[in-house]
Amino acid sequence: MGEQQERPAGLARLLEEDPADLYENAPCGYLSMVPDGRVVKVNGTFCAWTGHPPERVLGRRLPDLLSAGGRVYYETHLAPLLRLQGAVREVALDVVRDDGSVLPCLLNAVEVRDDDGRPLLVRATVFEATSRRRYERALLTAQRAAADSEARARTLQQVVSELAAAASAEQVADVVVRRARAALQAGGAGLWLAVPRPGPAAEGRPLPVALAAADGLPPELLDALVTAAADGVELVRTGGVRAVPLGPGLRERWPELAAAMAEAGQESVVVVPVSAADDRHLGALVLVLGVTDDSELISLSEPGTRGALAPADADLLATLGRQAGQALERVRLYEETVRQADRSAFLLEAARLMAAGHGMTETVEGLAALAVARLADVCVIDVLTERGLVEPVVAHADPARRHLVEQLRDHHLPRRDGNHPSVQAMAGRRTVWLRGVDAGRLVRMVTGPGHLAVTQALELTDLVCVPLVADNRSLGVITLGNDTRRGPFTEADVETAEQLALQMSQGLEVAARVELESRTSHALQASLLPPAPPHVPGLALAVRYLPGSRGADVGGDFHDVVPLPEGDVALAVGDVVGHDVTAAATMGQLRSVHRALLADRPGPAELVERLHGSWPLLGLPRMATALFARLDPATGALRIASAGHLPPLLVGGGRAELLAVAPGRLLGAPPGPAPEWSGELPVGATLVLYTDGLVESRTADLDTGLARLRAVAVEGAGSDPADPDELCDRLLAALTGPRRADDVALLALTRLA
Amino acid sequence: MVTRNCLRVSGPEAARPMLLAHGFGCDQTMWRAVAPEFAVDHRVVTFDHVGSGGSDLGAYDPQRYASLAGYADDVVAICRELDLHDVVFVGHSVSAMIGVLAVLRAPEHFGALVMVGPSPRYVDDEGYTGGFSRADVAALLDSLDSNPDQWAAALAPVVAGPGNPEVTAELTASFCRTDPVVARQFARVTFLSDNRADLPAVRVPTLVLQCTDDSIAPEPVGRYVHQQVPGSVFTQLAATGHCPHLSAPEETVAAIRAFLER
Repeated sequence: MGEQQERPAGLARLLEEDPADLYENAPCGYLSMVPDGRVVKVNGTFCAWTGHPPERVLGRRLPDLLSAGGRVYYETHLAPLLRLQGAVREVALDVVRDDGSVLPCLLNAVEVRDDDGRPLLVRATVFEATSRRRYERALLTAQRAAADSEARARTLQQVVSELAAAASAEQVADVVVRRARAALQAGGAGLWLAVPRPGPAAEGRPLPVALAAADGLPPELLDALVTAAADGVELVRTGGVRAVPLGPGLRERWPELAAAMAEAGQESVVVVPVSAADDRHLGALVLVLGVTDDSELISLSEPGTRGALAPADADLLATLGRQAGQALERVRLYEETVRQADRSAFLLEAARLMAAGHGMTETVEGLAALAVARLADVCVIDVLTERGLVEPVVAHADPARRHLVEQLRDHHLPRRDGNHPSVQAMAGRRTVWLRGVDAGRLVRMVTGPGHLAVTQALELTDLVCVPLVADNRSLGVITLGNDTRRGPFTEADVETAEQLALQMSQGLEVAARVELESRTSHALQASLLPPAPPHVPGLALAVRYLPGSRGADVGGDFHDVVPLPEGDVALAVGDVVGHDVTAAATMGQLRSVHRALLADRPGPAELVERLHGSWPLLGLPRMATALFARLDPATGALRIASAGHLPPLLVGGGRAELLAVAPGRLLGAPPGPAPEWSGELPVGATLVLYTDGLVESRTADLDTGLARLRAVAVEGAGSDPADPDELCDRLLAALTGPRRADDVALLALTRLA
Repeated sequence: MVTRNCLRVSGPEAARPMLLAHGFGCDQTMWRAVAPEFAVDHRVVTFDHVGSGGSDLGAYDPQRYASLAGYADDVVAICRELDLHDVVFVGHSVSAMIGVLAVLRAPEHFGALVMVGPSPRYVDDEGYTGGFSRADVAALLDSLDSNPDQWAAALAPVVAGPGNPEVTAELTASFCRTDPVVARQFARVTFLSDNRADLPAVRVPTLVLQCTDDSIAPEPVGRYVHQQVPGSVFTQLAATGHCPHLSAPEETVAAIRAFLER
């Protein structure tokens, strides 16, 4: 007990505390409650802290003294836990003070029970926890800010990686709209992009914009936004992210938009500039914010409070706008590169097609088909010849609409006159480009109601007419049209069309020249060949000449039958190298020289020798193959010499033989001996002289051709009497097709009994 | 299903089934004074909503439980799994609305609906008083965040797992275990739902049990539910607070029996 003795008397007095004072003025609040929560006892400390006089606490339920959050916590957690476990500790609650301010507290409570476990009383102590709760709140705020910041960083990261994977403007638009909407929990979002138009941007005039992607916008609201954006709006303009609340300003400027927003429960429009790296404006990301979002839950935001945008959200959106702009630029550059490569490939293919040497019509048809595959939805090509416009060639990219352009060709285009842009292009020798073909324009350009109906059915939005011009002469016009599938033409498309026209004009001019030359050559050749073989007693004669089928080609083939006064007959076939006017002229000269030389009656071998000898003097520009023969119709004595020509065919007695005439050198080559073949043409047998056009083809070699010649000749060899005309027709029918590369000269004679 | 929702079944097999659904903030322990009373003549099924009590936390899918519909689907699934018909569904607090949704989804399973302290919408609206402003709900969500210790303590046995005898001892003393993240989301779904439009479609006999001085579901809200559910019965309890089945089980049981034996 020595300790007590040492204690100072004053302290002992202090420790003899009055229990009532200890309760009343304890350093914590005391509350006693009956089991239903009604306060039946409270100490002075609690009353002092809360400013409530005791009479305003007593009889009230504890939850009625708490803030709403505390009230719910009390009812759903604290009371049940007290009932179930008998005690709770360190529960954070906010007590509402008499002046309405909040006192953050920590509460410990125990339930006092009777012997049967029934609750009698709840005793609670309350500690002020302002500092602790402030600290906790600061922690919580920081934690939430960190979570928000992390969420924004995650959004950006996702956007950046998704944008990197986007391969088209549509994909970029889709990513930005979706992510921005999700990040802000916006009611909806849309991306409007400036419509690229050629020429310098007009200062101060809003750019036309078009919707590229939308997400979550109800149809009425989307319509209202599209309408508001149609006149260019201030959507695309400088400045940062702007939030426009649904207020008098918006209602006055865009009443429909304001009404649609109110209907959709949206409270503000946020406009985010989408700009390229050099700050050029490409469009705008538009979000609508409201209390209605995706969730079925009631939004925690008070109605009318979403007009404002948190600075962090504004920053996020601004960054998204820049990222979207850069991605768009990249994608467009890529798309342009691809288009450029496409255009180059197209022009190359067109050049190849024109060089392939098909007929004019086939070539133009090929070009039209190529154009609708690569350049436009519709292609019409008019070619002007000396006989006027020929039937236009038409093509449509969509097989289902091909009948429309064919209708156009068959009924409306041949009378091309009046206001049609293609006529203007031809007359003015300049490209006519109609951007956005409207109804009024259509009515002015068509020739009548039928034309109008077809043109309307084609749904063309853009039209480009490029004239075909050479040496300032009009050769025709290419008309290209796009419907909504391909969209408007670009500057580069039109340039490509112009290059196509240039290539085609050159091709047409060359073709026209060649065609003229071809007609001349054929006329010349026809005039050089004997019209019909002469009548020779004792012989039946047939001759044929078929020009090559390729339009521009003319051959140098010839045949000749010259009855000599002694009764003999001189025969000749030949082939001058080349397929042009020079070849034809050379053939004419060769035939004349042959006739002149016959005056001295040389034998076939001597004839070849003389021609060899005089070739340089004659100044003949081309080499030639030729076969000369001398036949005595009375005896059948036959002599033959060859200058590099194919061997003659002897048909008779059920056989067809190639005579073994040794081929000497070509005329015009260095001279060489031409050994003479001599034999007899039996009565009833037929001698066939021919040029290589009969037996040569692109698809089979010469031996095959000669074998077929013999086979075809022998088919009718048994017929009596032998008919050289029938033989010629049979040979030509069997051995030549409709597409001959070369001329054919054929001479057949039968020795009559 | 049995493990996912920690189902507990008692009472005679052939008796009328009664499904007791706990509300926000606790688990099926809340029914411990009521369930035995009904188990004498009912097939009583109690369960924990996913995310609460002894339910399988792994089954918690934030998408599925982003609205009350996910919880209602679970109730229907329990009825199907146990092949329950003519069920008396007793839902406390938010589970009263989960019951409404379940009844609308699968009416063939239900014979009666008992709503204990129901509220179709806690947040005030134009022409409707739910008792809470948005700021109140925000504060409530904050208070959940402010009491993490409470949650951690309650969660500890689940995290530690059985096996350790000390922990097991604590486990038996722990009630109302809820994962803090799930609790916050469940609070959002509970206090931010609006099921007013569903009430007039209810076609089973319905009892609205209204406590005295219920600061979560005040009397005008209970009256509103009674008006909106066609043919419903409204019973005012002397019990105070929001959990009469815990604070006044005798009165609660008597009121439900009176309704069922009408």
